[in-house]
Amino acid sequence: MSDTNTQVRDAAGVDLDNPNLTRFDIVREGARRDGVEIVHYEAQYPPGSKGERRMTRIVAFFFLLTGIMSTLFVIAFIWWPWEYELGPHASKYYTPVLGLTLGLALVGVGLGILTWGKKLLPHEIAIQERHDGPSAPEEQKLTGNTLQFVGEEMGLGRRPVLKWSLLGLAPLGLAAAAVPIGALIKDPHHPDILFKTGFAGATPTNPIRLMHDDGTLVRPEHVSTGGQITVFPNIPGGASNHHADSPTLLIHLREDDAAKLNGQLYTINQGSTWSSFVAYSKICTHAGCPASLYEQQTNRLLCPCHQSQFLITDNARPIFGPATRSLPMLPISVDKEGYLVATGDYKVPVGPAFWEKD
Amino acid sequence: MKRRKVDLKALPGKTAQEVDTRLPVATPLRGMLNKVFPDHWSFLLGEIALFSFIILLLTGTFLALFFEPSLQEVHYDGSYIPLQGVQMSRAYETALDLSFDVRGGLIMRQMHHWAALLFMAAIVVHMFRIFMTGAFRKPRELNWIIGLSMFWLGFTEGFAGYSLPDDALSGTGLRIASAIMLSIPVIGSWVTTSLFGGEFPGEIILSRLYILHVFLLPLILLALVSIHLGLVFIQKHTQWPGPGRTNNNVVGERFVPRYTIKQAGFFMLVFAVIALMGGLFQINPIWLFGPYEAAVVSAGSQPDWYVMFLDGSTRLMPAWDIRFLGYNIPPLFWPTVVLPGILTVLPMAYPWIEARWKKDKASHNLLQRPRDVPDRTGLAAMALAFYLVLTISGGNDIVADKFHISLNAMTWAGRIGLLILPPLAYYFARRLALGLQQHDREVLAHGVETGIIKRLPDGRFVEVHQPLAAPDEHGHTDLPYVGWTVPKKMNRLGALGPAVRGFFRPIEQPAPPQQEEQPREEITSGKS
Amino acid sequence: MTPDTPRLAAGAPKQRSRVRRRLNSALRMFAALVFAGGIYAIVAPGGAQGAAPLTPAAEAGKALYDVSCISCHGANAQGVEGRGPSLIGVGSAAVEFQVETGRMPAARQEAQAERKDPMFTNDQARQLGAFIQELGGGPQLPEGEDFASKGDIARGGELYRINCSSCHAFSGGGGALSSGKFAPTLEPATDRQIYAAMLTGPQNMPVFGDNELTPQDKFDIIAYVQNLKSDSDPGGWGLGRFGPVTEGLAIFLVGVVALVFAALWIAGKS
Repeated sequence: MSDTNTQVRDAAGVDLDNPNLTRFDIVREGARRDGVEIVHYEAQYPPGSKGERRMTRIVAFFFLLTGIMSTLFVIAFIWWPWEYELGPHASKYYTPVLGLTLGLALVGVGLGILTWGKKLLPHEIAIQERHDGPSAPEEQKLTGNTLQFVGEEMGLGRRPVLKWSLLGLAPLGLAAAAVPIGALIKDPHHPDILFKTGFAGATPTNPIRLMHDDGTLVRPEHVSTGGQITVFPNIPGGASNHHADSPTLLIHLREDDAAKLNGQLYTINQGSTWSSFVAYSKICTHAGCPASLYEQQTNRLLCPCHQSQFLITDNARPIFGPATRSLPMLPISVDKEGYLVATGDYKVPVGPAFWEKD
Repeated sequence: MKRRKVDLKALPGKTAQEVDTRLPVATPLRGMLNKVFPDHWSFLLGEIALFSFIILLLTGTFLALFFEPSLQEVHYDGSYIPLQGVQMSRAYETALDLSFDVRGGLIMRQMHHWAALLFMAAIVVHMFRIFMTGAFRKPRELNWIIGLSMFWLGFTEGFAGYSLPDDALSGTGLRIASAIMLSIPVIGSWVTTSLFGGEFPGEIILSRLYILHVFLLPLILLALVSIHLGLVFIQKHTQWPGPGRTNNNVVGERFVPRYTIKQAGFFMLVFAVIALMGGLFQINPIWLFGPYEAAVVSAGSQPDWYVMFLDGSTRLMPAWDIRFLGYNIPPLFWPTVVLPGILTVLPMAYPWIEARWKKDKASHNLLQRPRDVPDRTGLAAMALAFYLVLTISGGNDIVADKFHISLNAMTWAGRIGLLILPPLAYYFARRLALGLQQHDREVLAHGVETGIIKRLPDGRFVEVHQPLAAPDEHGHTDLPYVGWTVPKKMNRLGALGPAVRGFFRPIEQPAPPQQEEQPREEITSGKS
Repeated sequence: MTPDTPRLAAGAPKQRSRVRRRLNSALRMFAALVFAGGIYAIVAPGGAQGAAPLTPAAEAGKALYDVSCISCHGANAQGVEGRGPSLIGVGSAAVEFQVETGRMPAARQEAQAERKDPMFTNDQARQLGAFIQELGGGPQLPEGEDFASKGDIARGGELYRINCSSCHAFSGGGGALSSGKFAPTLEPATDRQIYAAMLTGPQNMPVFGDNELTPQDKFDIIAYVQNLKSDSDPGGWGLGRFGPVTEGLAIFLVGVVALVFAALWIAGKS
């Protein structure tokens, strides 16, 4: 808006006690004093016109819709069968009915309000001046000097002892930080949890048996050729999340695949397979998901989280995707009673890599 | 005692006076009522996020009445038959109870989750609008930074919420989160064991995520939302250029009544969409996932959509392991720690980068149309392409499965696409912006195409153009380009209706106020 | 280090399953011995297959085999190099699965045979199965069509999640495997087909023989899967049960689009 125009009106002013003023005149004057000029204010439908009546009816319709839908919502909430039943059942429509009635009730109130505001209220254009930008230089100077004055009065420059003594306050910050950090901090190396699994403590003379998720022990004949099962250390809570790094995939390879694997074992994996059985950690070396999508013909293990693929017949070496490390192999054997056992813990830490893990 | 007659009609006025004598609010209140807000659909995107946030607080409070973030092991005996007798955590059990044994609990859970997805979606769309129109420029850099922070806070808040029910997807997500923390050089293992209270999953993590999810993060978000809105209030909203609109004014509607009514109505509509989706579309059916067990995973395990781009970057990352002196930096570190770091710092610094690049230190209250800043539009398209490739890669196994594409091919397509598509997007968006701008300038110089083809005496055909002002001797009009809509059709010029002066068709013709005259062409808002 | 770990405190069902498993393996061992002896008795002295007369069903199967299968699997189901594998020892379960789901006869050689409309009726598939069974033995399906009702849904769910969901997804909708292979959806699978797939491990699916999952375990899994498929979603439309991918699409295609249109109506356009 042109400045001249505003100034002219300022000069003119409005006498609020003038009995001839309409309420809108007062509103406009109030807005003007706030730096807002209402330049356009016009009803969209003349009062009493057909259009206005139509809009009024629409608003009323929406509010009525809300009333009906809200009532239906309450009725459904109370009387619709809601307790779970297996299979197709009216209770399966409980949530959809609630959503539909509540949603339509809210649509009604929303559209009603909007139609009211958009169609029945006069259209307006108002213009407000912005008064931003920096403060006046004089103001800046005054405030700046006030602040500087405070600084001088504190007199750190003149009182060096005080300056140094402020350093003495630093431990207070340390004290504040010490409590949460000190309480939360947990040494990952004592005990050495990241390098050990539930199989820790197993030795060739004192092995740990493998078990199914329901606690039954595992015999070689439990796994068919071309089959795999998930096994756990047979220790208290071995299959629970307390030993989240212990799930192991026990795979029974076909003879030729087993021969291929045994022919190219890494040094660290020497002696870890038993017959045509091999056990790999189920925990992906990339991000720790269970890498358990076993393809028995192509002998690949796929991790469903980031699609790393491991070749079972070659030490579970990663052959695709973001993983860089082979799945660790669990040294297994069969004990005198014919149960599969782990003769030691994994020789490399299970799961995702970290700084200290070579 | 003398009985005084209460004048009901005078009561509001009297109350107001009583209030004002104690708390002089008349002047500031009127200033607020009269505050002018510009009106444009793209200014309502941020509100979707705001309203979703309010709904999140409401539904979340309801859920907290029933949920227990405990990893204590229990045997389920609720009404969902397929899980009866199954061992699970108390957290998962209470989440199941919320779905099956609390009346109306399921719709509240689903509304909460849809509202969370909508909250993040609205933030992203809103940020995109801010970036494309240059609303982040001086003096609004701080609000841009607050907005970005809120994206990451919402991201963390959402991830914490996704983890709380302790279903199989939650646990898988948490496990990946622990792997990400582990991947941080030097301190990774310390950070992880400290947060999880030992080895993953430990017994304390849900309690910690819970206090984060229901108290700390919402509190910070609430504070930032208040500052965000407060700054918009103080600095006044930006507006599009157009007749009558300058860098020093705001043209629009007053806060009360029209603006407030529109906001209230829109709030109800956002609420309605969330209620409808919460009732009609099933989300996060935790009862199908089963309880989290370390050995259990499902094909197609994905995070919620706003985390999916980081999952995608993780999937596309080549298997590069850096090892030296017995230490190593795992490949997980780059796409999940370094990339988000870059994606935080770079956009936060962008307002200053652009100011320096374009040598523009001025304050801007007028927005720019994307076509008028081709470089920035190109960058936005580039960012969008980058983001889309990552997000799609985050679900590439689903895409591969449903469209019968090789999974390995999808990964390679993502890797190559991530390098090739963003520059292509930059190029095409930039050319598109330049082309659109060029067309606007052409209209300003030559006029609007009329569709009338004229054959000249020498046999050539030409289209007759309707100049927008009196042409000079070369048939050109010398109209300034102001960065706003240019009429492209004859009826926009009113050629089919009463002719209107000026080259924008003023839909909001100022009705001349009773006493004074207003020059018409200055007051139009350019709405068409 | 005893089999009775504390986790077994969970309850009697698990105890039972352990006993059952042992009992089953003993029985199976016995059956296998008898069976192996029987086969030897039949095959060895004669020195040629077909010495034993085929049952009528197997005869019918042989007739079908000679028309539709012989070109790839060879005259005595011993396979043709480069065209089709030997069927000796695959058992009737594998034949029924492959034929009933339309995977066999295969239209062409592919990375993975897909389910299609079967060429034979289920009865014909069983005849074919009988023929192959009598020819070379192998795993067989139990009698009956309805296995689901014999199973425990909750226990089946636990087994499904640890053994099956990694490939077939929590919803049974299937998922991608490496290099274009995939685990198919379980949606069209019948009780017998699921049982046969577990028993024989078709294509890249690992074998879940009766040692890994006892017949009762398999019934439990089938009960869970069939219930999963027939139980309608309590929370509205399930969006295909794909998980967060379709949920993310929905929030943009439905939520954001609807609200942007609302915004366009509420405020000015340009």
